[in-house]
Amino acid sequence: MSRIVLDAVSKQFPGGATAVSSLDLEVSDGELLVLVGPSGCGKTTALRMVAGLEEVSSGTIYIDDRPVNDMEPRHRDIAMVFQGYALYPHLSVYDNMAFSLKYRRAVPKAEVKKRVSEAARILELEPLLDRKPRQLSGGQRQRVAMGRAIVRQPRAFLMDEPLSNLDAKLRVQMRAEIAQLQRSLGTTTIYVTHDQTEAMTLGSRVAVLNHGVLQQVAAPQEMYRNPANLFVAGFIGSPPMNLIDARLERGSSGPGGSGDPGGSGDPGGPDGPQVVFGHHRLGVPAQVTAERPGLARYLGRNIVLGVRPEHLSDAALMRDADAASVIELPVRLREELGSDVQIHCGIGAMVHHGEAALQDVTSLATLVARMDPQTALAEGQQARVHVETTRLHFFDPETGASIRG
Amino acid sequence: MSLIADPPVRRQRRGRLARRRRLAGFLLSVPAIVLVAALLWTPIVQAVRYSMTNWNGYSAPVWIGPSAYASAFGDPIVRRVLENNALLLLAVPFAIGIPLIIAALLHEHVRGWRFFRSVYFLPTAISWVVIGMVALQFFADRGILNQLLADVGLGSIHTDFLASEYSALAALAITFIWSMIGTNTIIFLTGMATLDPTLIEAARVDGLSRRQIFYRVELPLLTRFIQFSFVITVISAFSALFSLIFVMTGGGPGLGTTTLEFFVYQAGFAQGQFGTGALYGVILFVIMIIVGIGQLRLIRSEDGEGW
Repeated sequence: MSRIVLDAVSKQFPGGATAVSSLDLEVSDGELLVLVGPSGCGKTTALRMVAGLEEVSSGTIYIDDRPVNDMEPRHRDIAMVFQGYALYPHLSVYDNMAFSLKYRRAVPKAEVKKRVSEAARILELEPLLDRKPRQLSGGQRQRVAMGRAIVRQPRAFLMDEPLSNLDAKLRVQMRAEIAQLQRSLGTTTIYVTHDQTEAMTLGSRVAVLNHGVLQQVAAPQEMYRNPANLFVAGFIGSPPMNLIDARLERGSSGPGGSGDPGGSGDPGGPDGPQVVFGHHRLGVPAQVTAERPGLARYLGRNIVLGVRPEHLSDAALMRDADAASVIELPVRLREELGSDVQIHCGIGAMVHHGEAALQDVTSLATLVARMDPQTALAEGQQARVHVETTRLHFFDPETGASIRG
Repeated sequence: MSLIADPPVRRQRRGRLARRRRLAGFLLSVPAIVLVAALLWTPIVQAVRYSMTNWNGYSAPVWIGPSAYASAFGDPIVRRVLENNALLLLAVPFAIGIPLIIAALLHEHVRGWRFFRSVYFLPTAISWVVIGMVALQFFADRGILNQLLADVGLGSIHTDFLASEYSALAALAITFIWSMIGTNTIIFLTGMATLDPTLIEAARVDGLSRRQIFYRVELPLLTRFIQFSFVITVISAFSALFSLIFVMTGGGPGLGTTTLEFFVYQAGFAQGQFGTGALYGVILFVIMIIVGIGQLRLIRSEDGEGW
């Protein structure tokens, strides 16, 4: 059994900079938890505190219910895979993998050999055991770093952006290998990355950090579907969620989507709420208002509207596009991605820019849609864009919190 | 077709260009070659020639031939002098080990480490003559060391360190070790600053103690710096102690602290036997070449197989 708990853990560096602020996390036995966030969000500091490489300023870290704040790294029985792999350059691949067993635990030679051979077999490192790290490629070094962690059979693996030095293709391959390995070994793992795709594909749960503060912990799909706040909404997903400054109004005036000013359809009923941004209007379906009763408090107030790019489609390709869910937008850019196309549309409204990280996107004041490649939409055309209104997201512009209950 | 015909033409052009570049390189090197030949090779060749004569600096040298070398190696005085050189080499591990420990402690960045770094480097900035004079005061019969021994109640072991052959050589060796501490400490501190801190962190997580990390990770990674320090310490032991010996002991008592380097001076300038002085100088030169080549081989083999 290996369970890691962070109880209100904070880290302040000399000079007052707060890297991690009152972080509460629980990693269950055998779980792979991914800590994700932008550069400087405190994720690596949190991991280093678990490893014992950074002192905890306040709060307590438990490994298997034992507080480890004052325990040296060597007594914590954890293995760490570093971003730069940290392979000992003067030792062969075999000696790198056997290093800890040789000097720390006085494991019998035969056992060391057995464990290294087994790890080398799993990681396909057998032909490389006599080589020095400088004679290996990036991917091979990464494997050796994994092997060094595996042979120790530790209570937990800590991985600090282990794939960030690899090229894109190798990264995808190694990502899958790490996921398979972790599942087959069943070792509790904390994995740190700034890459949200890596986080989504690897983690059984994902924890998003920003400015040292935990934003949300959830299973990848849950986090994607129901982001807790604007930061998570903008960070998880590629391309990110479109976030638009809008207003929630009562829909008594009648018109549905801007593409059909005289449209009859109002999914929320004649008095149902409508989201208004620029000269566009979208009806909010009754199902959404039922799921998010808190929306009622925002009638007549500003909100931030969130729309995932894949929830926008070309109305021309739909047989029964609901007029109340269609808006007309000018196409500014068409990007071919093969499996789909990205259509950038001008929206004639302010795009929300509460987060500095999103400003480069928001300054374009565009809405990004991921559409079927069959769409004929081209730059300069006027697009009739269907919005899947049942999948809209709403956020409080002041707090950034998702509007739900 | 043109693709097939192209390569020889390009090769020819490249060949001409390479020749021109080689010629330009040679022409640019000529001034340096002339200077080196005039200032280094000529004196070396002359020294080798004089070493096989009995030249006294005034009269015309009389040719003795290579037999001068045979008789030098058979001379018990030369053997005694070489023995002194060999005994001084025993100081080399201390002249490397002590700075290594000091550098490791300074590298921990304890409070005031910058101040201590300056303190340890200070001997490097002091002239060997001054060091010799201070050492003379320290080891003298009524010197600081004997005074300290008396102050702590060990007056019974009062010794005139510079009066007996082996204690004088030991005093010389200790002074040499002290004078090498600054240079070697800085070399090792530089080496430690180049170590990747994540390797140390990896070793900490891998379960090694501080001492194990030093021996198993830091020390092997400092090999190049230790080799470099070894090279300059051995060279110093052979060829930089003249001032110390001159000031502290004058080569005595007897031949107690006469090294080959000092013997060259004594033969050539004190006794006016320039031929003999040249002979010892050439022997010292050959020994240094052998030591130097050995050390270079060691470093090169590490380059081939190491990290």
